[in-house]
Amino acid sequence: MAANAIEVSRISKTYADGTAAVEDLSFMVPEGSCFGFLGPNGAGKTTLMKALYGMVRRDPRPETRVSVLGFDPAADELAVKHLCGVVPQEDNLDAEVDVGTNLFIYSKFYGLPAREARERIAELLGFMELKEKARARVSELSGGMKRRLVIARALMNRPRLLILDEPTTGLDPQVRQLIWDKVRGLKREGVTVLLTTHYMEEAYQIADSIIIMDKGRRVLEGPPRELLSRGIEAWVLDVLDPDASGGLGEGPLSAGVRREEGGYSPRFFSDHPEALRELAARLPSGATHLRPTNLEDLFLRSTGRKLNDLQ
Amino acid sequence: MTCSDRCPSLASRLGSVWYRHFRTYTKDLVSNGFPPFMEPLIFLAGMGLGMAQYVPGLAGMSYLQFLASALVMTSAMFTASFECTYGTFVRLEFDKTYDGMLAAPLSVADVMVGEALWAGTKGAFFSLAVLLVISAFGLAELGPALLLTPAVGFLTGFLFGAIGLLVTSFVTNMNHFNFFFTGLLSPMFMFCGTVFPIENLPGPLQVLAEILPLTHPVRLGRAAALGSGWKASLLLDLAYTAGVAALAMYLAARRLERRIVK
Repeated sequence: MAANAIEVSRISKTYADGTAAVEDLSFMVPEGSCFGFLGPNGAGKTTLMKALYGMVRRDPRPETRVSVLGFDPAADELAVKHLCGVVPQEDNLDAEVDVGTNLFIYSKFYGLPAREARERIAELLGFMELKEKARARVSELSGGMKRRLVIARALMNRPRLLILDEPTTGLDPQVRQLIWDKVRGLKREGVTVLLTTHYMEEAYQIADSIIIMDKGRRVLEGPPRELLSRGIEAWVLDVLDPDASGGLGEGPLSAGVRREEGGYSPRFFSDHPEALRELAARLPSGATHLRPTNLEDLFLRSTGRKLNDLQ
Repeated sequence: MTCSDRCPSLASRLGSVWYRHFRTYTKDLVSNGFPPFMEPLIFLAGMGLGMAQYVPGLAGMSYLQFLASALVMTSAMFTASFECTYGTFVRLEFDKTYDGMLAAPLSVADVMVGEALWAGTKGAFFSLAVLLVISAFGLAELGPALLLTPAVGFLTGFLFGAIGLLVTSFVTNMNHFNFFFTGLLSPMFMFCGTVFPIENLPGPLQVLAEILPLTHPVRLGRAAALGSGWKASLLLDLAYTAGVAALAMYLAARRLERRIVK
């Protein structure tokens, strides 16, 4: 029987300025799984992560219960942090010193003896494919290398829980693939992974289960594939040229086609791609795009807003 | 399983924060080590060649000796103050250094006390550098001073590190540090028994000078560097310095904890 690495019941966070960043959220993360939080900027994802390792003070409500690997971060912050690795949203490496020294300095925070630390650093540089950069200054690294170094740093103490706050935002596709690969590898070793992202693709690639958040609240929860198959039709027809869409779908639609007003042009959803192709045939070629639906469509449907809207 | 079995001890945590600063600072040792040797040289050359000949000796020493023995601690004050104001502010707001450190098993208090310990170390290093320079001019005797001066320098650095952290806890715009440097540190540099004895001040200002934190480290540092003028009242200076340092450290750690952990 798999125990839960994280059990959170009715957590809330209201900042001093009155912003309710997280509102009455509950979830459980089974050990060895990858759990994702998906949502636009300002949805409360980062606040939630920080509350789990004691960097945000959650609202002191009597009904709130938080257990991270058996410890409550509000009472025993150091115990939680000792067992977790955290990749914060922003890289915060020591620019003055080289890659190896960055890791060595970090090993001291965990009280690792120097010999053990050196072995672990060699291992981590190999794992994150940074071996040839050990003597490079941080300022010489590309964005993707810096990110890999921050991940290596988070793995220093062989964490049982890895918290990744937007691990691949702003990185190129190759680096994202590499990072997803490494996360899958860690999961196989039994590491529990907590992930925030606003990339649907990322959640789809590595998360076993996700919560879609909006304005501090849970909108949907479940395995990403299941959410898609349950929550939205399989196919969508985007109308690329709104001027050309005139009259399209204003008449009665064929059975099983649903029309949704998008940002500036309508979109048509159906489980039957033929029905959508038929619709598209009424417009000039190139004016529409037929594709499978993704989590962003689901998010839009659940909240009425785009996932990457800045707030 | 409890964490106390495997979690690093308090000493290890403070040491690790100190080590982080040590490694990043010593990476540029030549440029970072230049000021503590060069500044007293410039100051003493100017004062010694120019001004000192017009001023009679006082308190049983030459004027240049009086001045030089104060520089030992004012240099510790300035380096610790810069480290824990501008340095801390940049780490806090721009480099996000603390976000990285606090993801490891460290508390905000660990990180801040570690900062002050590092400021103390820089104070010890700077005071020792100044001592070496002034002794090269024949203004101080090396001997017990080689140990005593860095010890007082450490205390002075920790004191002004803690005060700097407390100031930083209030600051949201880096330019506000000007009030601290020009409004408090510059007057202290002039009026705390550094360039003239505080007995020359009018009565009420003497009381004020006794309250200001630099006065006491300067007395301790002067005795340590010159190896003379020991008296029992130095114990009061020591107690006052340690007391203000502890109070400032406590308040700074508390305020910064509330600022960082929102």
